[in-house]
Amino acid sequence: MGSNASIMLQQEDLQNICQQTGFTAKQVQRLYSRFKTLDKRDCGFLTREDLLCIPEVNINPLGERLIDVIMDDYGENNKINFKQFIFLLAKFRRGRVKSSTTEFNTRDSKLRFLFDMYDRNHDMKIDREELLQVLKMMVGGNIHDDQIATIADHTIGELDSDGDKSITFEEFCKTLERIDADDKMSMKFLS
Amino acid sequence: MYQNKHSIFLIILLGFIIHKYYCKEQTYEHKPNKPLRFHVAEFNFDHVSDVYAITLWILLGSLAKIGFHLSHRLTEKFPESCLLIILGLIVGGLLYVTHLTEQKAYVLNSDTFFLFLLPPIILEAGYFMPNRPFFDNLGTILLLAIVNTLFNTICIGLTLWGFQFTPLYGGTQFEMLPCLVFAALISAVDPVAVLATFSEIHVNDMLYIVVFGESLLNDAVSVVLYRMFASFANIGQPNIIVMDIVLGCLSFFVVALGGVLIGIIFGVIGCFTTKFTEHTPVLEPLIVLVYAYLAYLTSEMVSVSGILAITFCGMVMKQYVSFNISKKSDATTEYVLKMLSSIMETIIFMFMGLSTVSDSHSWNTGFVFMTILLCLVFRVIGIAIFANIANCWRLLELTRIDMLIMSYGGLRGAIAFALALVLDEAKIARKKEFVTATIAVVFFTVFIQGITIGPLVKLLNVRRKQIEEPTMSAKLTNRMMDHVMTCLEEISGSGGSNSLRDRVRNLDRNYFKRWLLREPPDRKDIKLLQTFKKINTLTAMRVHDTARGLVPSASTATVQQGIPEHHHLRSHSAYGNVSELIAANLPENTVPDLMSYENHEGEHHHNDAEMHHFLDTNLYSARPRAAIHLRNQDETGSSDDGTHARFEKSYHHRDQRYLPTRLERELPHGPKTISKTIHNANRPIGLTNSSPKHTRSPPTTHQQPNPRSRSRSIAAHQHSPIPSGQRTKSISKDSRISPLASTHIENEGTGRTAAERSRPWRHLSITEETGASSSKTANIPLANGNDPNLHHIPLTVADFGGTYTKSPEYMGEYATTTKPEEPSSRPDVRDIFNKQSEDVSEQQDDGSTESITRL
Repeated sequence: MGSNASIMLQQEDLQNICQQTGFTAKQVQRLYSRFKTLDKRDCGFLTREDLLCIPEVNINPLGERLIDVIMDDYGENNKINFKQFIFLLAKFRRGRVKSSTTEFNTRDSKLRFLFDMYDRNHDMKIDREELLQVLKMMVGGNIHDDQIATIADHTIGELDSDGDKSITFEEFCKTLERIDADDKMSMKFLS
Repeated sequence: MYQNKHSIFLIILLGFIIHKYYCKEQTYEHKPNKPLRFHVAEFNFDHVSDVYAITLWILLGSLAKIGFHLSHRLTEKFPESCLLIILGLIVGGLLYVTHLTEQKAYVLNSDTFFLFLLPPIILEAGYFMPNRPFFDNLGTILLLAIVNTLFNTICIGLTLWGFQFTPLYGGTQFEMLPCLVFAALISAVDPVAVLATFSEIHVNDMLYIVVFGESLLNDAVSVVLYRMFASFANIGQPNIIVMDIVLGCLSFFVVALGGVLIGIIFGVIGCFTTKFTEHTPVLEPLIVLVYAYLAYLTSEMVSVSGILAITFCGMVMKQYVSFNISKKSDATTEYVLKMLSSIMETIIFMFMGLSTVSDSHSWNTGFVFMTILLCLVFRVIGIAIFANIANCWRLLELTRIDMLIMSYGGLRGAIAFALALVLDEAKIARKKEFVTATIAVVFFTVFIQGITIGPLVKLLNVRRKQIEEPTMSAKLTNRMMDHVMTCLEEISGSGGSNSLRDRVRNLDRNYFKRWLLREPPDRKDIKLLQTFKKINTLTAMRVHDTARGLVPSASTATVQQGIPEHHHLRSHSAYGNVSELIAANLPENTVPDLMSYENHEGEHHHNDAEMHHFLDTNLYSARPRAAIHLRNQDETGSSDDGTHARFEKSYHHRDQRYLPTRLERELPHGPKTISKTIHNANRPIGLTNSSPKHTRSPPTTHQQPNPRSRSRSIAAHQHSPIPSGQRTKSISKDSRISPLASTHIENEGTGRTAAERSRPWRHLSITEETGASSSKTANIPLANGNDPNLHHIPLTVADFGGTYTKSPEYMGEYATTTKPEEPSSRPDVRDIFNKQSEDVSEQQDDGSTESITRL
């Protein structure tokens, strides 16, 4: 499949992508073949269902939310094509040295992605409802709504410094100062 | 006369009895030739000598440790291990001079070392192993532990042997196999030394775990190599066939995997046992210790790696046991482990110094020098090679500086020494040289490297360990990152460590937790909830720490409202805010931010109620606990008591165990001052309201009849009550004004003024207040009778300190208001007291009764 994929990927596209994202050609090809594998109907884009077919994503508590983010923010019309796909993943490439960081895989953009996981209405704030949704997904269904609400309030209380009962991106970043978000939000791409 | 006769008879009788028993004594003693007398006390040292010596050692070690830490100058410059070795050397010298060294108990023998001294240290290390960094770096650790150790052994052994052809050793002959045996014991990094050194320099988790993990896991390799080469030496070099070497390699897997397996098995059994200890909680810590020790002994028995066994046993148990056993047992386990390992470490280092002073040395300058040099050189080379190899797959690469610290942190220690001591002199002729060289290497690494590694870390600006408080948001986001990265790894098809971790986590949740926990988790993310509980408890502790008087009055307010309200459960934000504010105003040293606190509190009623409810249903409710400070809580009803008891218990813990250092205590001025002001403001209400019939006493002293706004009432002249939806906003708004307001209230107590006359209950607080805040100079009359909060006197730390010293009395005072009037609820509280028999609770009781009589 790997050889197949490389044929289908135009050479200049490949170079373009490599240059923009910082992936090596091999990595791009590998991701392309992965893309093709996921794209079962062979129509050049992935849909929500395609991604949900991956068992780990399916059972992951945040899987659907992640796909929401992917589809809404990175794809269009509930589809994501390869270029969008690879730009999405470029965010999580680890910048080994300073020179290899592109506009995609800065710490800021990683945090932004994380922030977007909460902020679904794109008002640049995480409000209580959004936090509640995420909490419910992560903690599971057996817990009482009140309890979730308490946790949500607590969390907002921790982060919220300007007192508007919602979390802005700056406030969000502040908590993550101590966490090595850059490392944790990176992954190894096979080449 | 008659009486005299009687007494004479009595004396005779007594004499007869004594005589008879005397005879018996004589027959027992079998010493007919020496007339024996009864001894009131006998001196029988032989009977206890061994244990006595050991106990003395422990005492000496503890005293030494205490002594070293009294002098900060000493411990800043030298690691503890160095000081202990020096002490050992001194004592050893004394013993050597007095020829006491011949007695066994005074020197380190390898049996004592491996059976008693080593296991607690390793268990502690395993039990407190930071799991996540460990498994994240497992690949690197294994590579270093196995391949690097092998590499080091072979290289050092062969090079040492090779140098015998040069005149460097002064003509002393070393055979190849003994050299390899020696290399096997000398090339393994020592966990004890690494722990002792790295715990003082606080490098980041990753670096620490890589070095420490290596030192733990290389035990399997070094045990195998040591045993293999030793038995090869026994067999004799010419007789070795290929089969022996193959079997040696095979035995590595047996030793390593066998050790891990035994550890895990015993760990699982241990967890399983704690599932049923609900009624015998006192045994819980013991179970942890015993199973771990058993794992160690078992694996030593079947000659697999005991260190691996006990490490993994500790790691497994930590995962599940802490869910099962009670909080107290958990704390005890941790404490006992820390205590044991710390004292064992002390003794090991002391013994090392001690055993150095003996006759069994043979100094060979060339050999010693070469050994030290080769250890250093090959350590650096090995790390350079294997860290670079590891970097090929590592996400977070090891930098040059990391590598330098890793190689510099390769300390040798007591294990090598103990292994050198057990060498068989009949087979290995150069044992004395080896022992001497081992000691030299150990001393070199512990002294030179141990002392310089701290400054080196500072110099190279190595990323330090960050001690972070658990916050809900961080935990949540962390967990979210895990989930997101797992998904993305799956999507991108690059199945990395995240998805692996996810699989392990699923397995753990679906099977192990179900089998091993008392209450199988029914939630998806038990850890997230746990964090929340932990944060809440921490907050509670802090509140309690800063404001002991707060609790009763708070709950009296609760009675009024009929809502269970808890100040301890307040969200963290109050503190964040206050401390920020304090930080901004620290130079002036005067910023009690009452307003934010008060407002917060006011609007938090519902929130707190919810939180309380949540905790009530979700906190571990193994069984009722002793209610120590339970006073006014009695009124709030039975459901309330449980939670409170739990919190009070944790306070109690804090008082006893987690007493922060002075600095920490004084740092958060904000909460402390606030709590005091609150305390002052609230207490009156608490007093007036805790009337026998639980009726709400008319709020005579306040304009607002609604008790819900009580907390705000003080600030009322400046702020109208803010709708609860905006509570957080109000903090920041108030923070500018609040210092003034709070200072007013602070002084309120001191002013004997109109306020006092209008509020007779205030009298009480005044008497105490004036005593407490001795630094305050003036009692300024109040300008405004309605609102006694108009004085600007900067507060000092001493003021706040006053509250601390006074607080027991406060508690007593509260007790008087409620205790006699609560005959119905009192008994069951007493029951709990009796059950747990806490001396502190008794103390508290005493205090309360005292105050009853006082009033």
